[in-house]
Amino acid sequence: MKSYQKPSDLDKSLSYSGASPYQGQVRSFRQAPGLSAQNLPYLLLLPSVFLIFVIEFYPFITGVLYSLHKGTLLNRGAFVGLDNYIHLFNSTDFYHSLYFSSVFALSNVLFSYLIGLGLALLLNLDFPGRGFCRVALLIPWIVPAIVSIVSWKWLIADRGGLANIILQTLGLGPIYFLSQSGWAMVAVIVIKIWRSFPFMMLTLLAALQVIDRTLYEAGKLDGANSRQLFWHITLPHLKNISIVQAILMVIWSINDFETPYLLTQGGPSNATENLILLSYRYTFGRNDVGRGSAVALLTLVFLMILATLMLRQQRSVA
Amino acid sequence: MSRRRKWLLLLIGLMIVFIADFPIITVAVNSFRTTEDILSSQNILPSQPTLANYFYINTRTRFWTFLLNSGIVALGSTCLGIALAALAGFAMSRFRVRGLRCYNQALLIVQMFPLILAIIPLFIFFRQLDMVNNFIPVILVYTTTQLPFSTWMLRSYFDSIPRDLDEAAKVDGCSPLRSFAQIILPLAAPGIAAVGIFSFLFSYNEFFISSVFLRDESRMTIPVGIQSFMQQYSTDWGSLMASATLAMVPTLILFLFIQRFLMSGAMAGAVKG
Repeated sequence: MKSYQKPSDLDKSLSYSGASPYQGQVRSFRQAPGLSAQNLPYLLLLPSVFLIFVIEFYPFITGVLYSLHKGTLLNRGAFVGLDNYIHLFNSTDFYHSLYFSSVFALSNVLFSYLIGLGLALLLNLDFPGRGFCRVALLIPWIVPAIVSIVSWKWLIADRGGLANIILQTLGLGPIYFLSQSGWAMVAVIVIKIWRSFPFMMLTLLAALQVIDRTLYEAGKLDGANSRQLFWHITLPHLKNISIVQAILMVIWSINDFETPYLLTQGGPSNATENLILLSYRYTFGRNDVGRGSAVALLTLVFLMILATLMLRQQRSVA
Repeated sequence: MSRRRKWLLLLIGLMIVFIADFPIITVAVNSFRTTEDILSSQNILPSQPTLANYFYINTRTRFWTFLLNSGIVALGSTCLGIALAALAGFAMSRFRVRGLRCYNQALLIVQMFPLILAIIPLFIFFRQLDMVNNFIPVILVYTTTQLPFSTWMLRSYFDSIPRDLDEAAKVDGCSPLRSFAQIILPLAAPGIAAVGIFSFLFSYNEFFISSVFLRDESRMTIPVGIQSFMQQYSTDWGSLMASATLAMVPTLILFLFIQRFLMSGAMAGAVKG
């Protein structure tokens, strides 16, 4: 019993706290075996570590096992080795969702970054009401996905939707946004960008506001114009946060289930099915847990490859 | 900057706000129109504002049950998450031992982990325990996905409280846990409230995990409930818009409380990044 021999903080507290109403509590701390100042931090982490283990680590290991079996939601099934993976590498569905996930993530990063940067630069200027604008521009990001999707579904509805009403008055034919593959992909991506840009704007604005103002004054004294100030002072200061944001946004886009599922459920005919939706459809639609898990694991591998590439990019730039 | 230019900027800002928030404004406006009125291409604004959609939701759907369920799930995961994150954040802020860096990296992995990977085995696992349509799995998953963010945020709030206070308490005979409970926690209360609201918002808005676990109508949260409504009555725009409007009211109110913290939190991140 190390805690009894060492004059730890807890022991000290006991000896000083004669009149404390917490005396009983302190005593019970002292009696708990193994509770000393040395392993207190580990005890504090224990509940979190336990939860992460149960909710993510254990499922991850079982997920790997499931992907090697031909199982259903009710039983694990027979061991089939890498069959599920081989099947995936020979299926067009998998390549299509890999393609859609990539296009989805890259366009989302690119456009939400450009829009976010533009708005951050605007909000960084001093004008009346910019606090209001900042709060109001965060709303697309903060409202529940289902609310935005209900709204967008009406805006681009085939019949009675605002977009088609406007097209009609302009004398243009109706566009069936959600029943044509190309348009459905565009719609899912645009709505995702609309849901993502406020976060980019927020972090970039925060980064802009911590840039030292005297740098700009020094630049102006040296005769730099505003474009030069932007390229040589603003952008370099945004570099690190931009790369971190881009990596986060790629991860979040690849992992996104809500936007495509709520809008199109992956349709029409799998056009907007990303890797997560494919895994979901295999598992819960076809009751094929093996292939569903294999897709999920390949998604993780894909994510890790992307994140590593982007981090390497960051180092080479830095 | 000249005054005229400032007002011009305000005008541009307001126009951008209008365009960006247009889908949200649409939901609120259309919730006061009947479905026929919404679908008629004659006018964009309500010709005769009506509360019919709200009466319909109140009497014919289980919206209030969904709201209650959302509240239970969000509150449960917020309380559990804050408790766990506060303990871990305290450890990371005040102790320097091996393993803490390792834990920090584990949080990073949790942050980017594709949830679908955990959901399949967890669904099978909780189904064996007969816990589908039970709030507990949902609360546990929400808590876990929130842990990285909450822990990092609380840790930075604890970091901002001077260590001298701990030292003084120690001299007065305070155990680390007691100085945490009686000195650090009360001082970090505003930060804890902000992180708590964030975590509540995340759970309240989330769709995917709820939709996997909460399949029975009496157990659905708001996003799942509206989605099932959308599938059954895809063209009943009036009621859909009204339920979406009601659904975002709590979100917007809580958001107004934390928007100040949002900016300072992002700035702290920007300085470190």
